[in-house]
Amino acid sequence: MNVKNYLFLLALSVCIMPTLFASEKSSASNNLTAQQQSKESLSGRVTDKNGEPLIGVSVKVKGTSVGTITDLEGKFSLNNISPSTVLVFSYIGMNSLELKVEGKTSLNVKLEDNSVNMNEVVVVGYGTQKKSDITGSVTSVSKERFSQIPVTNAMTAIEGAVAGVTITNTSSVPGSAPTVQVRGVNSINASTNPLIIVDGIPFEGNISYINPNDIESMEILKDASAVAIYGTRGANGVILITTKKGVAGKPVIQYAAYAGVENIAHVLTPRSGAEYVQKYADYMSQTNQIQTSPVPNLYEVANYNAGKTTDWIKEATQQGIIQDHNLSISGGAENVKYYISGDYLNEKGVVKGYNYKRAGLRSNLETNVTDYLTTGVSLFLVSNNYDGNKVNLLNASAMSPYGQLMNTTTGKYQIYPMYPELLYTNPLIGTYNDSKDQRVNVNTNFFAELKPKFVPGLKYRLNASYNYNPTNASSYVGRDGNDNSGTASITDTKTTLWVIENILSYTKDWQKHHFDFTGLYSSQKNNYTSVTAGAVGFINDILTVNNLSAGAKQTSGSYQSSYSMLSQMGRLNYSYDSRYLITLTARRDGYSAFGANTNKYATFPSLALGWNLSNESFMNSTKSFLDQLKVRASYGKSGNMAIGVNQTSLVDNTVSYPFNGVSNVTVLANILGNPNLHWETTKGLNAGVDFSFMNSRISGTVDVYDNRTSDLLLKRNLPLVTGYSNVWDNIGIVGNKGIDISLKTVNIKSKDFKWSTNWNFSTNKNEIIDLYGDKKSDIGNKWFIGKPLGAIYDYKMIGVWQTGDADLAKYSAKPGDLKFQDVNGDGKIDANNDKVYQGSTQPKWIGGITNTFDYKNFHLSIFIQTSQGSLKNNVDLNYADEQGRRNTPAEIGYWTPTNMSNTRAALSYNNTLGYGYPRDNSFTRIKDVTLSYVFSSKILEHTFFRSLTLYASGRNLYTFTNWVGWDPEDTYTGRGISYNSTNNGPNNGTISWTNNYPSVRSVVFGINVALK
Amino acid sequence: MKKTFFSILCLFLMLQTFISCKDSFLNETNYSAYAPATLTDSLGFQASLKGLYTQMSYYYTYSDHQGWVAVWQTGTDIAYSTPNQESQEIPYYSYDKLVSTDGAASYTWKWAYQLINNANNIITSVESPSISGISQGGKNQIDAEAKFFRAYAYNMLATLFGRVPVITKTISGPKTDFVRAPLDSVNTLIEKDLIYSAANLPLIDNTNQARANKAMSQQLLAEAYLRMGRPADAEVQCKAILNSGKFSLVTSRYGIKKALAGDPFSDMFIYGNQRKSQGNTEAIWVLQQENPTTIVGGTSGSPQQRRVWGAAYYNIAGLAICDSLGGRAIGRLRLDNWVLYRLYESTDMRNSRFNIRRRYTYNDPAYPAKLGLPVPYNNADTIYKICPSTTKWSCYDPLDAFGYSTIKDFPIMRLGETYLLLAEAQFKQGGAHINDAVTSINTLRARSNASPVTATQVSLNLILDERARELLAEENRRMTLMRTGMLAKRALRLNNDATSSHPIVGLDSTSVNKLLLPIPQSEIDLNKDAVLEQNAGY
Repeated sequence: MNVKNYLFLLALSVCIMPTLFASEKSSASNNLTAQQQSKESLSGRVTDKNGEPLIGVSVKVKGTSVGTITDLEGKFSLNNISPSTVLVFSYIGMNSLELKVEGKTSLNVKLEDNSVNMNEVVVVGYGTQKKSDITGSVTSVSKERFSQIPVTNAMTAIEGAVAGVTITNTSSVPGSAPTVQVRGVNSINASTNPLIIVDGIPFEGNISYINPNDIESMEILKDASAVAIYGTRGANGVILITTKKGVAGKPVIQYAAYAGVENIAHVLTPRSGAEYVQKYADYMSQTNQIQTSPVPNLYEVANYNAGKTTDWIKEATQQGIIQDHNLSISGGAENVKYYISGDYLNEKGVVKGYNYKRAGLRSNLETNVTDYLTTGVSLFLVSNNYDGNKVNLLNASAMSPYGQLMNTTTGKYQIYPMYPELLYTNPLIGTYNDSKDQRVNVNTNFFAELKPKFVPGLKYRLNASYNYNPTNASSYVGRDGNDNSGTASITDTKTTLWVIENILSYTKDWQKHHFDFTGLYSSQKNNYTSVTAGAVGFINDILTVNNLSAGAKQTSGSYQSSYSMLSQMGRLNYSYDSRYLITLTARRDGYSAFGANTNKYATFPSLALGWNLSNESFMNSTKSFLDQLKVRASYGKSGNMAIGVNQTSLVDNTVSYPFNGVSNVTVLANILGNPNLHWETTKGLNAGVDFSFMNSRISGTVDVYDNRTSDLLLKRNLPLVTGYSNVWDNIGIVGNKGIDISLKTVNIKSKDFKWSTNWNFSTNKNEIIDLYGDKKSDIGNKWFIGKPLGAIYDYKMIGVWQTGDADLAKYSAKPGDLKFQDVNGDGKIDANNDKVYQGSTQPKWIGGITNTFDYKNFHLSIFIQTSQGSLKNNVDLNYADEQGRRNTPAEIGYWTPTNMSNTRAALSYNNTLGYGYPRDNSFTRIKDVTLSYVFSSKILEHTFFRSLTLYASGRNLYTFTNWVGWDPEDTYTGRGISYNSTNNGPNNGTISWTNNYPSVRSVVFGINVALK
Repeated sequence: MKKTFFSILCLFLMLQTFISCKDSFLNETNYSAYAPATLTDSLGFQASLKGLYTQMSYYYTYSDHQGWVAVWQTGTDIAYSTPNQESQEIPYYSYDKLVSTDGAASYTWKWAYQLINNANNIITSVESPSISGISQGGKNQIDAEAKFFRAYAYNMLATLFGRVPVITKTISGPKTDFVRAPLDSVNTLIEKDLIYSAANLPLIDNTNQARANKAMSQQLLAEAYLRMGRPADAEVQCKAILNSGKFSLVTSRYGIKKALAGDPFSDMFIYGNQRKSQGNTEAIWVLQQENPTTIVGGTSGSPQQRRVWGAAYYNIAGLAICDSLGGRAIGRLRLDNWVLYRLYESTDMRNSRFNIRRRYTYNDPAYPAKLGLPVPYNNADTIYKICPSTTKWSCYDPLDAFGYSTIKDFPIMRLGETYLLLAEAQFKQGGAHINDAVTSINTLRARSNASPVTATQVSLNLILDERARELLAEENRRMTLMRTGMLAKRALRLNNDATSSHPIVGLDSTSVNKLLLPIPQSEIDLNKDAVLEQNAGY
């Protein structure tokens, strides 16, 4: 930075400092140095406001295709430049700049950050659009959020940071993906996950497979107009992810890495030895039993007498370690550009046996074959490894502190630490198993773009994509793992998906009119197969899963399903003078999984209007403080087809059953199909305003919306008299109304110090408007007209019965029983009259605040998120101590005649009413704090580094909540709770203790470097 | 250039055309599941019929609630719940807690209508004129087997719930307008189905013993006639079974443990002896199970019978889990003192130490000081740890000492019960038939060395006492007492031990409330287009 500029900026800073919101001159032309010499060639350097060189800035002679891009030092040179030439400098995230050469031969150009980014190009699906011309509700997430916050998956990076998007970590298991919801729940049973599009292609995998460092930009389409181009798949919102591409010039080699430690954020500590003994004594007396021993079981006696306790949580957990390495090389020549990256992530979880390793490779290549044909290939391969012999945290929290950890004879873990109590096995015997879980994702995308010169503005693009996702999971449980026969199983699955898209687009500008059209014809097909094999009865545990034929009894299974889609789409954008904007869209989709009695096609039109008020001449007087003001409105239809395959016809299930010692295949009715099944439709109205004041000191977006979803795809419970429990149906109307607000304020801006704040707030009112056309609630399904989905409909707990209470006999209650409100006052508590609506599992509002402080080269960012006004059934409160048979968390007390607790029942209480213990799970979290230091180019001048950033980052640092449990967001299950159970049979389903994993607090240190 | 451009364009567009422009592109195929339409040949019908046995087994193998088995026994006249109870059985002795959301009533209802639905699918399909390739006789037998199960389900529903909706055809779409049919029409359907199935099912033999036979239909019809108050008709059915020549009372030792200590009665309840082919001449209907570690699908769930009925002796220091003590049980219920101390004569074989275990001896070598000594029978342990308990569900798998499942056949119908149904039918007819009832009862008592009864002693209570002696832990005691209308009277009179850990409450022998189970609340709520009335007292 030369002295002149420095002085100028200093003077400027002094001028603006006193006034917080004073405007700042932004014309880059001030940075022009002129040296009148030759008229033939021109060279120069492009930097950002800090004087850091900008690489890959496009420098073009206005009105021609002549141009170049800046190199690693930000330098460029052009020949044959006439003095009257106007050069256009453009770079993503910066204001474009037009400069007259005026005979100069050397230019030092400084580009300004465009925090408003009104000229920024935004990906909108099947193309891009200038942000200022967008009429729908589209939120962009800056790439810094992905590369600067060290996270294992992209969704976690945007949790709480984007208005209108709710991201919930239902599981903290390493490698698991959070759930994502855009603008509230609008479907009852069908998927409410948004559609994810990576580089234009629907992504059918776990979002954690995508390396966050590869993400160039992420856009979230929220309103009907924006999502209408995705038709039947758009109603839950669309997330568009664009990966990084190479830029012509010298290669850029970047390395980013972080490593750190993870610890349990909050331990739900089990009772200590003394508390456990007291609990047992209280249990025995409350159930009127005679206590003969201070501890309930034989194996506890020795340790009790010796005063020796085991900290089971400590035994089951460990120091979590996470590290991530990412190397990318990008660059290219005029006609070939490349971006290649490799990523390796290794997370050793805080509970033993929970691991996640990810190795990924991406290669994005682009070639201009001729001046009218561009082709490119993008390859993406990621291998995910979840191998690990998992420890059972649920059992660890249930163990008696006096239970025996080790079997002293065998030197192995004692299978039943509380023998003869056989209900709970040692949480650590899982470490003797052999469990593998590997998932590979191979994505290959090809595109070709034809731009015929004889029709300027016309473009044809072909996208062809093939995904191949194999998974392999296997497990072996042997004698040490409490299976005396030895059980092995292997599951292989394979998903393939191909997509072909033909996109035709045409752009024309004349006078002040801008016109562009995009047309699409696409098809896709998904195929899924799985093969399972298993064996039981091995001689010993040596072979594990490697020779199933060595088992006494073999089982096998296979499954196949597929679906296909066919789509046509058209979109028309028209704008006049960048003031009046209009977008018309229509998409027609066909989906194979809809019923035989319906047309498999649906059409989804939309209309959107925009008005850039700030571009009007009558607004000239406001230019001094108003940078930009745009109002938008849209109305349209989008759809949801997200139901599984094969739901439209009656289907049988096969179950094996023995007849005279021989296994027979028997058949039972399984699914009641519905041949009338079709898509659900959301009609959405959205109005929004985008604004920027005082040189971007305050900028933001406010959107209000009113969505109404009809023909809900609903898994409707049926009277069991039909022989079935439920059926998929199109029924009912659900409304979502809400406000999304995003605001960015630059609170302090001086030469060395800047404090800015990003605010986002969203509230959504979800409401069932109708179900069966008669405006009647469906109590059986807990769907109430006028109430939101996820209703908590339960007895209202008003305390605990105490000794001597007047109505004990009337309610045949005993002291220590939970006391519920007798709503109709009939003297008994029954489901018909005394259950009341108490709230919903959906939060009333969510928000986030990110404060960023920049002092010289130090940057500190603090992100706080909040979610308020939701209820959740608390499993930890619900599970009893299983009739004195397990330890319980110290935090979760129980009633005794002396403590007279009014919140917890006695140990003898039996929850015969099936009360779910709904509790408020609102929380506020200090989610991320990141401190980074960016080395100045001056320091790096004589090193190999072009840039170097060091940072430290803490995640999940503290949570403010009234929730009692491991974490307000995570879902835990109790012993023996199973899910996925099918229509027939009593005991189908898988036990899901493996999801019981605490949320973690992590502290990592990282480095981002670019080589010269 | 234009030429090249268009060649490339055509090439790209062709790619699309080849793949997806066929009309069939959006057709859906269900690759991995059978549909009813694909199972209309003989093998298909056989697989569907066998499915009825799988569904039947879900009643016995249900373990989502481990107290399920106890629901049908505890709070009746024979047993009470121990401190080791689960939760599902609580409303079945604490009757004030029996409400319309009751889990056991709901599961019973669901299970019965699933059985009915599967039977209806077969009946609708096999009676359709479009079915070819199966002889009329073949069709009739298929129809008969399905109708037996349909009647079985309706008879259980009528006994437990009274009037219920009657569905006799395949359900092909959402339906929410069910009404409770009059009891008469439920009974008519049961009678019709059973007369048809008795006429078309074969007699039992060793090869078809696992499938429905004529005697099963007759025995069920006899029970249904008794419930309907038609004892003369019931007598005809019972006699047909006795006269079929296919069954006889077991009076001497047989089977795999013949050489070991035991008696003829206990032989019938040893796994490996339970089927007709294994020598059990009383077996009318034995629903089979196999160990699932050797036979795929050997059990359809994790039946809890042993765990519920047996004593939790493993809790006593010095007692080790073993085969001869019946494997590991947890004593969720305890036989009441009436059954243990007042019901049997000392000579009654059914009261022998092989059939009811009353005493334990220390057997764990880890406790050498106690080994071989008798376990004292004198404290709270006798409530569920070493309480006297039936051995009918004893079983032990050395590879699975914990034994979450009970791997044993389920004796659903046995000739012993035929005599008792016959006695009841004869007694109900009164007059000269009373003497026939005495003969029937004494025939059965003679096998067990019990002294004969006289005509003056015979009453419904005596017959119900005799059922308890003979069919303890076999019959669904609650259903028997509900069928005969004796539940409240007998439970209050006989199940009132001072030591009971969970005495009966909320039961009234004079009220008409709660004589039947509640219609599940969710059924009433979901049946939005018509009213399903609730039973009295809920």
